[in-house]
Amino acid sequence: MLAVYQSLLRLYPSLYREQFAEEMISVFRDIDAETRKKGITAAAKFHLREISGLFCGAFSEHARRILGSHVPFPLSSRRFTMRPGFRFPKSTSFLMAVILAGIVLAIQKAEEISAALPRDIAPAGPMWAPHVGVLTTIVLTFSMVYVAGALGWIVLFALRRSGVHRLSDMPAAERD
Amino acid sequence: MRHVVRGHVVLPLTEPVLLILLSLAEHPRHGYSILKDVEEVSSGRVVLSTGTLYGALRRLLEDGWIERFDEDDTSRGRQAYRLSPLGRRNLQTEVSRLKQLTRVASLRAARKGA
Repeated sequence: MLAVYQSLLRLYPSLYREQFAEEMISVFRDIDAETRKKGITAAAKFHLREISGLFCGAFSEHARRILGSHVPFPLSSRRFTMRPGFRFPKSTSFLMAVILAGIVLAIQKAEEISAALPRDIAPAGPMWAPHVGVLTTIVLTFSMVYVAGALGWIVLFALRRSGVHRLSDMPAAERD
Repeated sequence: MRHVVRGHVVLPLTEPVLLILLSLAEHPRHGYSILKDVEEVSSGRVVLSTGTLYGALRRLLEDGWIERFDEDDTSRGRQAYRLSPLGRRNLQTEVSRLKQLTRVASLRAARKGA
């Protein structure tokens, strides 16, 4: 098992190995000897834990090296997982159905228009004027996204499902 | 909940990091001793792998929360770790936060039962 452990340590970045590999092997050897005395089940559990620990650790170290040291690693901290109590409001499914229906209707309408056009007509020019640059396109895209977000919030507000309404519905004790 | 980033370590601390710091708060230890102490302090609930332990130690070392030094008994070539003044200060901050939290939790739990 020590040979497997040593070969798995090669998954770590070289700098990390230089700093800790020898020590890790020494600690592994001590615990391995100890758990072997406790029986085969304890030894199997220990080996499984060590192997998964090495895989996660090596992945974490490489991610840190690539993404930067300031990025906390989500696997170990589990800080980025969704709150277990979180639920989408029921109106979300209704809104999604409306959006999907709108997309389907828009596609159908476009097909009808396309079929009604005479075949010998010259192809239409670009939707945007040629002088519109990348920056303008980005600004326009973000504006549209924000407008869509604001519209969604207005719908939620009208349905009394916004955060403001949820907070006001909450008992005072829970709010504190 | 507000998360405060201090170097690579994020407050509030994760349980393994908190237990490692608590283990070093008493006196300096080497890797094997930390693993055993964490298991004992958590009543066997938290059993760290060497990968998890040394990943956490590397982050804490980089942030200056702990220091690494050669043990007096160098026959086994082991390195020992101790809490730095910064690490102790941050640990005390975290313990105070937990104390405050458990105080509120106790009060509320008692109120609910009444």
